[in-house]
Amino acid sequence: MNSIFHIGFRKHLWNWLGLLLLVGILVLPGCGKIGKSGNEIRIGVVLPITGREAKPGQYQREGIELAIHQINENGGIMVRDKGKKLPIKEIFYDDGSDQAKSAGFVERAMSADEVTAVVGGYSTALGEAESVMPDRYQTPWITAGAAATHIFSHGYQYIFGTLSSTDLLGYTTGDFLGSLVDAGKLKKNLAVALALENTDHGVEYGAGIKRWTDEHPGYFRIVFNEKFDLGSTDFSGLLQKVKNAKADIYLVDAHLQDYITMERQYVQTGMHHQMLSYGARGPDSDARKALGDATNYIFAGLWWSKKLPYPQVKKFVADYQAFTGHEPDSYYPGTAYDAMRALAMAIEQAGTLNKTAIRDALRNVELKDSLLPGQTLHFGKNGQVSNPFIIVQNKPEDKTDIVYPKDASTGDAVAPRPR
Amino acid sequence: MSAADVANLFVSALLLAGVYAAMSVGMTIIYGVMKIVNLAHAGFLMLGAYFVFELYTRFSIDPLLGVLLGFPVFFLIGMGIHWLMIRRIPRSDQPTLASLLLLFGLWLVLQNLGYLIWGSSDRAILTPRTLSTFQFGPIVVPAVRLVVFGVAVASLAALEFVLRRTWFGRAVRALMQNSDAGRLAGVNVERTARVAFGVGIAFAGTAGGLLAMLYPFTPDFGGSFLLRAFVIIVLGGLESFAGVAIGAVILALVETFSILAIPAGYQPAIAFSLLVLALVVLPEGIAGLWNRRQRWT
Repeated sequence: MNSIFHIGFRKHLWNWLGLLLLVGILVLPGCGKIGKSGNEIRIGVVLPITGREAKPGQYQREGIELAIHQINENGGIMVRDKGKKLPIKEIFYDDGSDQAKSAGFVERAMSADEVTAVVGGYSTALGEAESVMPDRYQTPWITAGAAATHIFSHGYQYIFGTLSSTDLLGYTTGDFLGSLVDAGKLKKNLAVALALENTDHGVEYGAGIKRWTDEHPGYFRIVFNEKFDLGSTDFSGLLQKVKNAKADIYLVDAHLQDYITMERQYVQTGMHHQMLSYGARGPDSDARKALGDATNYIFAGLWWSKKLPYPQVKKFVADYQAFTGHEPDSYYPGTAYDAMRALAMAIEQAGTLNKTAIRDALRNVELKDSLLPGQTLHFGKNGQVSNPFIIVQNKPEDKTDIVYPKDASTGDAVAPRPR
Repeated sequence: MSAADVANLFVSALLLAGVYAAMSVGMTIIYGVMKIVNLAHAGFLMLGAYFVFELYTRFSIDPLLGVLLGFPVFFLIGMGIHWLMIRRIPRSDQPTLASLLLLFGLWLVLQNLGYLIWGSSDRAILTPRTLSTFQFGPIVVPAVRLVVFGVAVASLAALEFVLRRTWFGRAVRALMQNSDAGRLAGVNVERTARVAFGVGIAFAGTAGGLLAMLYPFTPDFGGSFLLRAFVIIVLGGLESFAGVAIGAVILALVETFSILAIPAGYQPAIAFSLLVLALVVLPEGIAGLWNRRQRWT
């Protein structure tokens, strides 16, 4: 009997060893994960640091990592039901600016990596792709880079965003231009031309401006409204149409590369408008390097600026510079930093790593030392914040001033733009 | 719209055609001689842009001179890549899956190499020429676009001269027409293909340098131009350099003027409609039409 067992065992020795190895492969990492997640809070970060959106994605990653670094330096987040502070462990994925990859990585983070929450989704297109996952895996997700309202209009329960809607950006642009009319700097009933990138971002920006003009009759009239494709190689035809429209104000909603290409052609064709804006683009350092003085007096609506006169913003800028070795560019790191801080606050208030409890806490979070304009971050009913925008205007010698609203301004708006 | 506006748009379209022709000719040479669709073309456009950018920012070398210096550098790179990879692809009269996959992989490698070296920031070249213009009566011509157009036309003329007047040029044309007959006539196919690949890559690098004077770029640069290059060489007739020039002019004119009638958001659809139209109505391209017409007369 004994010998029969030995023969059978020997015969199947390799099968047994193979099975043991398979079990080891499957079980051991799992054991490690359980052990690790017991002593840390795993947060997924999915952003583009390669591809078309790499630059803003990198800045957002740095903002998130600075917040994580500071939280961990203070011992982590207090989780009541664990009775101790737990450090944050970042699990990062680069989506390469690709929608399919972006959604896939969020799914992977929420399922295989068992993260407590995910922060990510730069640009409306990538954020939209990611936004279908949180409710499926009942895991909170905060985007610091997708602003289009329609993402938040599907009734999803686990999605949050630290960017106010693009519609509000358009509306604030109307507010700003209206204030210039009220101040006598611009005349009433000026003609506005709109050129919008063919994305939800562009459409909502245009809708915000139109809403403002409808609500404030007599200020401006829209005489041209057309969409253009992302990454165009030539804008001469579009600019000719804008020229034919004989507008006084030219408002564009564009990504950085299109802003640079279009502005070059705009200057080369000798065009000039009393006011010129590229939506949320304007003071970006790459654009100022690429265009030089041609960016002077362009204004932009931003979700955040390092120039905001709040003490917490000054501290953030200093900390960011020490952490990364460079200054924050545009709004990218500011909104991402606050997204991570709001999440940390929600986890602490929930007192547990239960994802639904954290979701509920996020709904009530009030970050009172927020970097955002208005200084308080609170997610609305649809999950999106509605902090006011600031309007900045480029000035000569690489200066940028906040010119609207008045209580945050660092300089006066120059209107109309000098030739 | 005034006559001056139409004239300005026409000039703008012609200048754009110069850029399109310059970026397409490298693909045509490689396809003509080796029947390989160079999917890595966009990667070399990107490298050409960074090459000129680095010379300009590090050594203050004028981008125009940078473009000229880039030609021999990219020629050698092309020869090296041929020796290392392309010669190992089985020879065929049609584009093969192996060649498509190899060159697509090479494009991805170049892109990622770009990210490793230069990161993801948008780069652009700003010189005193960038925003200046020449005024000819009511017609305004951007200086940098004129310069790019001039270099593109000069390089196409030089290529035409080489193809018509030199032994190498005749060998290339022989292989484009019939590679077996060319071999029987004593053409060293391997060596000619290597040099032709080098020339194709050199033109891609040169075009990249020219594009860098006009557009901002990242390691992702070149993708949208690659699609347009496909349209142009299909329109031109795949293996014809004169066809490339005509294809570039047609695409630029159609893209520029059609926007006056339809929304600018449909611009990419225009290029693809042209591609479909060319494949259905003119499968041999404009060069094929021209050859047919010559046969009839």
